[in-house]
Amino acid sequence: MIELTRREFLKFSIIAPVLISNGVGCSHKKEIKEVSGPLPHIDVGGIIRPPGALSERKFRAKCIGCGVCVNVCHVMRYDAIQIMGPGDIKNLGTPYIKDMRDFPCGLCMECPKHCPTGALRKIEKENVEMGQALIDLGLCFGWNGDVCLSCSKACPLGAKVFDFYNSEWGNQPFINENCVGCGLCVKYCPLGGSAVKVVTKAKYSEIRSSYISEFRRLREMSQEERYAIVYSENMPEIMARGRIIEREYR
Amino acid sequence: MSVNIDRAVEQKSSSQQLNLPFSKRWMEGLLRLSKLRRFVLLGIILLFLLQFLRMKVLVGGLTGSVALWFVRLIDVFAYVESLFASRDFTITALVSVLPVVGIYLVFGRAFCGWVCPMDFLFEMIDKMRARDQKKKIVLKIPQETGYLFIIIFLWLSALMEIPIFTNYLSHLTNFFRLLTGTFFISFNLPFEPVVLFYSGGIIMLLLSLEYIMPRLWCRSLCPVGMIYGAFNKISLLRLRFKEGECGECGLCDQVCYMGVKIAQNIDKPGLRDTNCIYCGRCVEGCETKGRLIKMKIGG
Repeated sequence: MIELTRREFLKFSIIAPVLISNGVGCSHKKEIKEVSGPLPHIDVGGIIRPPGALSERKFRAKCIGCGVCVNVCHVMRYDAIQIMGPGDIKNLGTPYIKDMRDFPCGLCMECPKHCPTGALRKIEKENVEMGQALIDLGLCFGWNGDVCLSCSKACPLGAKVFDFYNSEWGNQPFINENCVGCGLCVKYCPLGGSAVKVVTKAKYSEIRSSYISEFRRLREMSQEERYAIVYSENMPEIMARGRIIEREYR
Repeated sequence: MSVNIDRAVEQKSSSQQLNLPFSKRWMEGLLRLSKLRRFVLLGIILLFLLQFLRMKVLVGGLTGSVALWFVRLIDVFAYVESLFASRDFTITALVSVLPVVGIYLVFGRAFCGWVCPMDFLFEMIDKMRARDQKKKIVLKIPQETGYLFIIIFLWLSALMEIPIFTNYLSHLTNFFRLLTGTFFISFNLPFEPVVLFYSGGIIMLLLSLEYIMPRLWCRSLCPVGMIYGAFNKISLLRLRFKEGECGECGLCDQVCYMGVKIAQNIDKPGLRDTNCIYCGRCVEGCETKGRLIKMKIGG
């Protein structure tokens, strides 16, 4: 048994709760390293609304900020929808999806079913237009000599959304335009900080040509060039971000 | 003045009940309207709190909610404002507003006295003021200001294509944002703390308005209450008077904090004032102890 003097005991009794509370309370935050997201040169390009939302202007006019969708999302255990703060005064109080890395939309389609104003329409999963997921081809494991496919396994629409390109490099995933932008692939990507990013459909139509040409360039590249790019540029970046193995799945 | 009479009434009623056994006294206290309506409020808030434990009983807030996971409900003023802002009529919103209209065709403006959480907070403020012995400024703003407010908000909503009152200023929306935010942040769920400060600011603003000018918000500013007040004219629930028992003591007028003139209308069979929130204070405050003034549905 450890023998403590009175002073040591008192010291310990003060320090221990602090240590325990730090270890228990903030464990979730400490495990996930804060790294910059994928495709830093492309911004989200607007607000990502809950599924079934009307066009931005009509949505703002209809939404009364009652918070039904936020709480429905909480009841369905996704917690994806947040309330916009007064920073964006025009959209104050309206729902949006902010943090797809930790809280993606699960496409349960309960919020449009329960929206009392009709700002969220009742539609099929496949017709939702929240955004478009883009894979950062320089960070994705599948495009850099590994076999992963976590994103395609997480996708609620599955084979409809994902195209696979087989080569000597393995099975390379590519997200086509059937994507609805729910963001489940963003969460389940094992790379630190995720290799998938969701942008709005409007932003996607802007950057579509440059993104597709980048994809074609990589596909048509010779093995030697590809080898050089992967091992000199991409690998150090991927290693620096690291793999998130112990992620808190709820 | 009104506060002193209020206390006198309470003392009188308690002294009358002293000879009863404790359990009976307690039951009678529970069934008094002014106590009962607090239990109704507490019950409804508790049902709303169940949504944070992921129970599908009553999800949302008092502006818009889902009851039992299939009945969508929306506040009448919020519906009208959303209609003006979007200029688009949909069946979805109409289906959500009809149950609420049905409820208020029966109960009139009882929402304000029985369900609105601000009424409870305002009463707390009133008690605080009485303890401090501060002088209160009674501002005589005509009740029609409320209708002017409604028109201004509807016009602004149509102009800016945003439901201005419901989204930014509504006490109900901001109260439930405050509840949701407090819960989400304490359980480490995503929520912007700025929303909490905004909503808390709005609620504090209304409470300080109440401290300076008692019940000004309820009587002549709140558009939600004004809309429900209009339902008072046709609702089944109303105050009914029995003839020939009034001693003209004026207690009912003193006790009413919504400024309803009860004594003037005592010779009529019923009262249909847009300001009456059916709190039951006049029923309890009356010298005849509920024989003269009664709250009745229909008839």
